[in-house]
Formats: sequence, structure tokens, C-alpha cells
Amino acid sequence: MAAFRYSDKNPSHPISFFEFDAMHTRIEVLLTGLMQERGESLAQEVERRVRDMERRFNRFDMKSPLSVLNTRAVADSVEVDDELFMALELCEVFRVATRGYFSVAALSGAASAAWAQGAPYVLDGATHSVKYADEGVQLDMGGFAKGFALEQVLTLLRDSGAESALLNFGNSSVAAIGHHPYGEWWSVGVENQVRRGEMACEVHLCDSAMSVSGRAPSGEYHIVNPHTGAKVAQDEMILVEGRSPLVVEVLSTALYAAPRSERVEIVKQFDGYAAWEIVCSRSGSVERKRIE
Amino acid sequence: MNRKEFLSDCGKMGVAGVALSLFPWLESCSEKAKQEVQGEKVRIGIIGTGSRGLFHIKHLVQMPNVEVVALCDNYRPHLEDAAQYYPKAKQYDDYRRLLENKDVKGVIIATPLYLHAPMTIAAMEAGKRVFCEKSMAFTMDEALEVYNRRKELNGVLFIGQQRLFDPKYIKAMQMIHEGAIGEVVGVRNYWYRNNDWRREVPSPELERHINWRLYSDYSRGLMTELACHQLQNGSWAMGQLPERVMGAGSLVHWKADGRDVYDTVSAIFTYPNGVNMTFESIISNKHFGMGEQILGTKGTIDLVTAMHYTDEPAPKGSGMHQLIEQIERGVMSNSVFAGTSWAAESSSLAPGKPIMQNVKVVSGESSVGAEADGSKELLEAFLHSVVTGKQPEKVLEESYYATQFALLADKAMHENQILYLDDKYKVPYVPMKMK
Repeated sequence: MAAFRYSDKNPSHPISFFEFDAMHTRIEVLLTGLMQERGESLAQEVERRVRDMERRFNRFDMKSPLSVLNTRAVADSVEVDDELFMALELCEVFRVATRGYFSVAALSGAASAAWAQGAPYVLDGATHSVKYADEGVQLDMGGFAKGFALEQVLTLLRDSGAESALLNFGNSSVAAIGHHPYGEWWSVGVENQVRRGEMACEVHLCDSAMSVSGRAPSGEYHIVNPHTGAKVAQDEMILVEGRSPLVVEVLSTALYAAPRSERVEIVKQFDGYAAWEIVCSRSGSVERKRIE
Repeated sequence: MNRKEFLSDCGKMGVAGVALSLFPWLESCSEKAKQEVQGEKVRIGIIGTGSRGLFHIKHLVQMPNVEVVALCDNYRPHLEDAAQYYPKAKQYDDYRRLLENKDVKGVIIATPLYLHAPMTIAAMEAGKRVFCEKSMAFTMDEALEVYNRRKELNGVLFIGQQRLFDPKYIKAMQMIHEGAIGEVVGVRNYWYRNNDWRREVPSPELERHINWRLYSDYSRGLMTELACHQLQNGSWAMGQLPERVMGAGSLVHWKADGRDVYDTVSAIFTYPNGVNMTFESIISNKHFGMGEQILGTKGTIDLVTAMHYTDEPAPKGSGMHQLIEQIERGVMSNSVFAGTSWAAESSSLAPGKPIMQNVKVVSGESSVGAEADGSKELLEAFLHSVVTGKQPEKVLEESYYATQFALLADKAMHENQILYLDDKYKVPYVPMKMK
């Protein structure tokens, strides 16, 4: 259940804030200018929507549509609902656009490299059915679901009339509706990976989103290179900014996994998105280089 | 932080009274108690001046209000070692002669286990106030006899369960009782070493005299020498006693030297509420060292390292909260919170938080004792009671049951049975978590 907080200490800009844990992370949403009742009702709707997607894309839940696919789509074509079909279409677009450095089949073990280069599944638009390309394919939507959920929540909030909001999905994915009540944008500091608590750089968001990929805060390398099946051991962070929270999420993950030599070509595939390599050193210096 | 500082901190927070009601043995550290014994010289005799006896002596020499006036050991080299610290002390090779010494007000008994009960009873009957090393006795009947005799004589008896006096354990138990880890659902104890547990023997006929821990005629091995220290953790944390125990023991590795006590033991103690407390000890592998953990529905407290781990995600003081304050104040500034993926801190990932500052962690590797393990505080409390004649509440019962359950587990292992503590061994037990 989302923890909801309402503040009208500043009567010109009352704040609705809610947070809850889902998708293995913490989700925080700040909305300004709404009445308390509306804020509370949106909090419930947002949480319900996120939890619904969490269930759908959870490969460890044997009843989830994704699990059903992982179990049955090796042998047969499996019909799926519109949302999952659309998600798989998008994943395939992203796989191609990122040269295979984003792949929902990245955790298919020894076979994952093959599914970075070629489609891991075949989609039939007429029947909305899916069939896996090989018995080794196993899909994991972990790198996709958070951005997808953020995209859906943004749409829900915009459709509900929200004009000023900031959404934080586990610090690595942040999206804004409109701007800060006292500025032309929402200003978000990216934390220095080496000197915790210090700011490595600042990002201005206005009807846009950003995503950061890199080592986990614990120091662990956790992003897998689909072409090798191995975890990527890079110490730099990748920051991507642009319109869609889903695209920035996918693109930052792919760029982190990709070798430097391929990053520029990958970014070129995504119009309206900017990406940076950020290197933090122990001395406190921060090197921020645009990938272009 | 030592025990006095702990009590002082409780005083600053206005909860010293609560602390004293929860942990009455802290009384000896209160201002009132200090005034009570001010200027008093405590005259002590030591029975058993081997390694553990010497360990206590090294603490005693730091205490100006103590005078060791008598030393006793029937092994001359040990007696001579101790005499270097107290050359004026009278020396004995028979503890009964020491007990006749009227100058001796209190005795510290640090002898092999099979001697604990007869020596403790003799000392109490001689009017001495007694500190005896753990375990309390070699058999369950003897433990009961010691307990009852103390009551009849209204004597003072401390058993060497030093964790009860260790500030980090006291603080941890206080947190547990206040609900810091939710409902207690498990207690884990283990003690691993990798050595033969032997002491050097100058002459073969002294083998059993010196290496008494290795022979079942004198000791119950790992259960009485190690487990006994840890078995109070469950009752202290939950305020109840185990209902039954099962276990398995074997001589796995050190079997070529003639010993007949187990070098590998595992025991499970089940409480009336279904919670299990485990104890495991192996002395041919030391990787995991010594560990004592209280597991709750909301988190874990590691007693040895004095660390608190939470099972619930810890909010990372998100910049979003700063943002709210800024808007409330009508200003705009950036908030640092974006970065690589946040993950819920779980017990396996989170580094944990120390429950108090300046904690010295004890490895459990030493067979003698370690600094900052509560031994010094226990000794101070005993010396206080030697002067006042007051037996602290509840402590003896905890020690008594730690011994009984160590012995019961050893019996369960030998008989390959699940055993319940016989009613005849049950003495009144007041949980330390309640006044």
C-alpha cells in the first residue's frame, strides 16, 4: 500500500507525494497543485497500475503471462494479450536499434549471444501469438518493465490532468510532467558514484525523462552484455535524456553494455535523445562526455 | 562503551530506571552502588590459577579495591604463575585449606568442570561469596544441588556467563525487547575453531589433569565449555525457556589422541512457541568463527558484532523529500538523488548498522577468554556483591538453565533422543525481559 503524504504548507502549490516498493525498487511520485482527495485517488490508481505490470512481467510468477510464454512458447505459438504483444514488439525494435545490446533474451544462458543477433521470438500480428525461435530462449523483461511502467504511469497522470509532477523509479529512472512550481524545469542531481552524497552532474527535466545505468550502489556489476552473456565490468555511468522514460531506460542499459566504439551509432538511431558517459574519480573530478 | 557508560547514557536519556529494572545486575554500576562500596577493600581467594584463573587475575590487578590474599592450585607451575601477580598472597594446594582462611571474603573458582559443584558448595558453606566459572556443574543433579544450596544459605553465587554483563549484549537485548527486530522467530549460535583444543603437557601422567576438557570424566566437552555461553541468548531474547532439545554429536577429526568428547556437535532447542534455537560447533574448521544471531520478523541482531540488520527496505533519505521541503518554502534548488538503480536493502545486501559505538568484536578463537567480552564487568559486579552480600536477581537462574540445557543437549546426543527437561530440575524462572 502506497504511503501518501499531503502538504499544503505552501497553499499556492499543495503537494501530493506517495511512495511504495514494487518491481524490486522504490517508486516515488510528487504531484503539485492537486486537492488532497485527487492526489490520494491518483496514488491508488498508480500503484494498482504498477502492480498489475509487475505481475504481468514477472517471470518468477508461474501464473504470469510471461511465465506462460517461457513455458509454452518453445513448442507452440502462444496467443497473448495486446499489452504483452505490444511490449514484445517494442523489445524487438529496441534489440535491432541497439545492435543487440538490449535484449530481453539476454539471460538465456549460453544461447543468449545468438538472440542478441537474431530475433529470439517470432510475432504473428494476425493472431497476436508468439513462438520462441529456439528451445534455449527464456525472456526476462526486467530491463524493460520499469521503463514501460513509468511510461504508462506518465500517461495515466497526464490523462488525469496532472500538470506538474516528478516521478522517481528507483533513482535510475526519473520522469517529469511540466516543471517545478518555481522554475522552468525540474532540476535533478545525479549522485557521484565514488563520493556518495556529492553531485556528479545536474539534469533539467521538463516533460522529459532521464535514466542512469552503471554499477549498482553496492558496487556490483549487474548489467549483462547480451552478446556474451557476461556481466559488464565498466565503472563509468551512462546518462540518457529524452522524451520517453521507456526509451531512456532501454538506451542507457544498451549503451552501458555496448563497447565505446559502437555507442555513437546506437545513439544515432534514437532521434531527440542525448547520452553521456560519466566517469567519477576518487579525487572528486567528474568527466562528462557526450556520446555523439 | 563499557557498562558504566551504558548506564550513564541511559541516565542521560532518562531511562536509567528502566534499564535497572530490566537488567538488575547493572545495579552494581549505579552511583548509589558505587557509594555503597566506596573505600571497601575486597579480599579474594582464587581457586584454580590455570589459564582462565590467570585471565581473571589480570583484570583484578587493575582494580585498586581488590586484594587477592589467597591462591590455590594443585599444579605448582600454575600457582607460581599467579603468585607473580600477588606475591604476598598465601599459597595452597588444597582448596579446603584456602576456605578456612578467614581473610578470604570471596572466592573465584576456575577449575575443571567436574570440580565446580563440590567446590562451590564447600565455599558457600564456608561463608564465602562465590564466583564459579561456567558451566555451573558437571551433572544436572549437581547443578540443582548448587542452586538449592545457595538458596538455603542465602549466599552470593555468580557463574561465569559473562555475556549477561557485556554492554553490547545488554543493549542488543534491550532493542529486541523494544521490538527492533519484530517478533523473535529464530536464534542461531555457532562456534567454530580449527585447533586440537589441547594444552601442552610436560609429562604424560598430567595429560588428564591439564587436558581435562577432552575427557568425559571431567567435562562434557563443547556443550559445557562453549555452548553454555550461548544458550542463554534465546531465553534472554524471548523471556522463555526451551521446551525440548535434540542433537547429534560425533568425534569426526581429532580422534587419534585418545579424547572421548565430541569435536562436532549440533543441537536444536525448541521453545514452547515453536521457535528454534540452534547451536553448532566444529573444531576442525574456523571459517565462520563465532556467531550469535537473533532473527526477528523485521530484522536480525548479530550479538557478536553488535550489528542490526533490517529485513525492511531502508529509505535512502531520497532527494524527493528535500524537494518537498523546497516547494513548501517556495524555493527551487536541485536535489541529488538520481543514480544507478536503487535496491531494497535486505539482510543479505545491507551493511547493517552498529547498535552502539566503540564495540570490540570478539572472535571466539581464544580458549581462555577475550578482552571486552563482559568478563571484567562480571568480575566487578561480583566484587560489589562480595561487599554488599546481595545476590543480583535473575542472573543465577539464567546461568542455571544455560548449564541444564547444555547438559540436556549433551545427553540427547548420547542417547540419540529428543529430551524434555525433567520437572525436578525446574526452578523458578523470571524472564529478564520483564520486571
